[in-house]
Amino acid sequence: MGDTFENYAGEPKRNEMPAGPPKSQGPMVSILMPTFNRRRYLSEALASAVHQSYANLQVIVINDGGQDVGDIVNAYGDPRVVLINRKENRGKAFSLNEALARAKGKYIAYLDDDDLYYPNHIEALVNALENQTDCRVAYSDLYKTYCNIMPDGSRQILGKVVEISRDFDRFLMLYFNHALHVSLMHRADLIEKTGLYNEHLSILIDWDMTRRLAFFSDFCHVPQITGEFYSPVGECDRISIQQRKNKSDYLRNVLAIRTTRPAKPWPKIDDMSIIFVADKLDKQAGRTIGSIWRHTFYPYKLYLPLPQADFSRLNTDMPNIELMPVEPVTSLSQRVDAALRRCDGNYVAIVPSGFRIQEMWIENPLYALINSSAAREGFELEGSTDVLWAAVVKKQDLQYARKNSPEQSVRQSLTSAGIAMRKPSIEELPFQFDGLLRQAQLAEKDGSWIQAARMFEYIAENYRNELWMKTRAARAFYKAGDHGRASELSKQVNQQRPTVDTLLLEAKVARERNDLNAAIERLARAQQILLGKADCLAAAETNGYPAQAKSFERSRG
Amino acid sequence: MDITQQNGVEEHNCTQHYEVLQELGDCYTSVGNYAQAQRCYEKAASLGPDEAGPYVGLGVVALQQELFDDAEIAFRVACRLDPGSAKAYTGLAMVSQQKKDYQQAFELYMKSLELDSDNITALLGLFQTSCQMGSFAKIIHYLRVYLNMHPGDTSVMFSLAALYTKQNQFEQSQKILLDILALDPANQEAANLLEEVEHSLAQGSHTQT
Repeated sequence: MGDTFENYAGEPKRNEMPAGPPKSQGPMVSILMPTFNRRRYLSEALASAVHQSYANLQVIVINDGGQDVGDIVNAYGDPRVVLINRKENRGKAFSLNEALARAKGKYIAYLDDDDLYYPNHIEALVNALENQTDCRVAYSDLYKTYCNIMPDGSRQILGKVVEISRDFDRFLMLYFNHALHVSLMHRADLIEKTGLYNEHLSILIDWDMTRRLAFFSDFCHVPQITGEFYSPVGECDRISIQQRKNKSDYLRNVLAIRTTRPAKPWPKIDDMSIIFVADKLDKQAGRTIGSIWRHTFYPYKLYLPLPQADFSRLNTDMPNIELMPVEPVTSLSQRVDAALRRCDGNYVAIVPSGFRIQEMWIENPLYALINSSAAREGFELEGSTDVLWAAVVKKQDLQYARKNSPEQSVRQSLTSAGIAMRKPSIEELPFQFDGLLRQAQLAEKDGSWIQAARMFEYIAENYRNELWMKTRAARAFYKAGDHGRASELSKQVNQQRPTVDTLLLEAKVARERNDLNAAIERLARAQQILLGKADCLAAAETNGYPAQAKSFERSRG
Repeated sequence: MDITQQNGVEEHNCTQHYEVLQELGDCYTSVGNYAQAQRCYEKAASLGPDEAGPYVGLGVVALQQELFDDAEIAFRVACRLDPGSAKAYTGLAMVSQQKKDYQQAFELYMKSLELDSDNITALLGLFQTSCQMGSFAKIIHYLRVYLNMHPGDTSVMFSLAALYTKQNQFEQSQKILLDILALDPANQEAANLLEEVEHSLAQGSHTQT
């Protein structure tokens, strides 16, 4: 511990410290900690889990066939800590499932063996879940800690940055993960609905689970920083990052995740049925089906109303296909009708063979439809023509149209039924926030700092994610030379949730204004956060775990 | 499928801790807390071993404590790490000046001003050294360059006016002093020197007639 800066300007605020003794009231939380050959860091991670301000915990350490960790776990002598010491390496998903079978908590939380909770982590998330009745899942913010790995294995901290502080967006969660697993807590009983972790996936098992959780619950974003995960500079030893380098395997995993459909009912997601319209199953039809598989991330089931003879030629591993044999002489409209009788999605897309499928091909109009307040409205897909007509509509509207005018083509029957068909405007498309964010980042890259700053500010005002965007705006204003605005925004962020970046910015401007005491106070707080691991040690000591504190100290090198 | 992949690793994220320590060191130096400043600079040096900044800081801390040999070593390390560091050369010049090696100090200040003509510490150091050596020709050039960039800096304007006066260039001196008084009518030093200069000018004119 020769590394503390406790003599900096007055008494630095330990804002991550628990306010008092650990709280023993409240539902039990099971923390799942899989570990594999990371003895060097496990002790520190485990210390951070045990020394929480919230006491009703069960900490399950799962040794996934790696080096023995019994001594590290036993050093705590804490009855709340359970060790599953498996000799065989079965992977993280298997380990988590094994731990879930032993979990007794009302809530489940996760901690990797090289990451850290701050002492308020569990308490902050339990509070959110107990008070937000609509949310059975919550997540907080984490520092991404850039570090050098020193020859003795210790970490030299280079910077701590909140790279994501993203409010929950269900549509986005279907596309990619914006809730880090280490920051996640969910009701244990949700696993009965989502199903267990997918042991066939080699990567992205966390996104697979958060995606499935999104079918059943809203997520509560707690914009507090309650832990950190490490990003070593240079070659990274993280297993998940190594595995992501295999692109075909990565894609295989992504497709498996995107096509996973947990058992119904889904209280938070409306299903979509895609009716594929083709005379026969030829190469072109096969290509279209393959494209649908590769480019669709919204949950769907694909209905193939085709002659029985064609099915023998269908050579695909694609999941979620429902084969519907029809007579070869059946018209295309009749095939749609046959499929429609079986569709169980609230939304139905009609897609002809040969239709050009690309990223967001169905999600753009579908999102517009989901959010449309018009009573009878459907959306044509980008690229839809008179010859290759494709659209997405509400199932009840299509049923109504087909019932009224079964003799007409699908398109004509919708018009006859008064269903207005149009293409979505830009404002109706999903990921508006991401589009603007990308533009602001491009402006930053071009060095157009003032433009970037104004965009970040605009996003903060209009698209939620306020603290995150204000932080980005503050930095861009500083780079643009508007130090006053940078300081003002940093101050606003620091009043709610101080970060190293915003404290540093505020300090720089204070120094320019010759307010050295204010600058020193901000910088000392930033330094305290950078050395924040000392908080875990202090918590261990104050909570009467001197042996663990020593072990923790040793683990820090 | 992880949003973090979009953002990439920004260089800033890896220098953040260094920056905090360097800033903190500078602040502590400014308030005279040299022990804390030194700790910050030493830690910053370990995080940024190729950066000259912490060594400049350590040099300044040593200089303030009149540990001239330590200061010289620190500034030399800074010069080696960054041969373009004007601050490091200024530091070395200040050490030489303290050791009364005015010629060496003069050359080092000059080197510093070549690297950064906006460096006020070097400029004033050069002015002092020039006065100590009784040689003003080069300093006039640098003061003028500086004033082109900072036209309203009355203290540097006054120094230049004083130098012109010493060189018997009264008209140039008068012009600058009038400019100072236009900017700062209450500047007594400028008013006094102007009176002296105008007296000299009047005498010169009288002598000519």
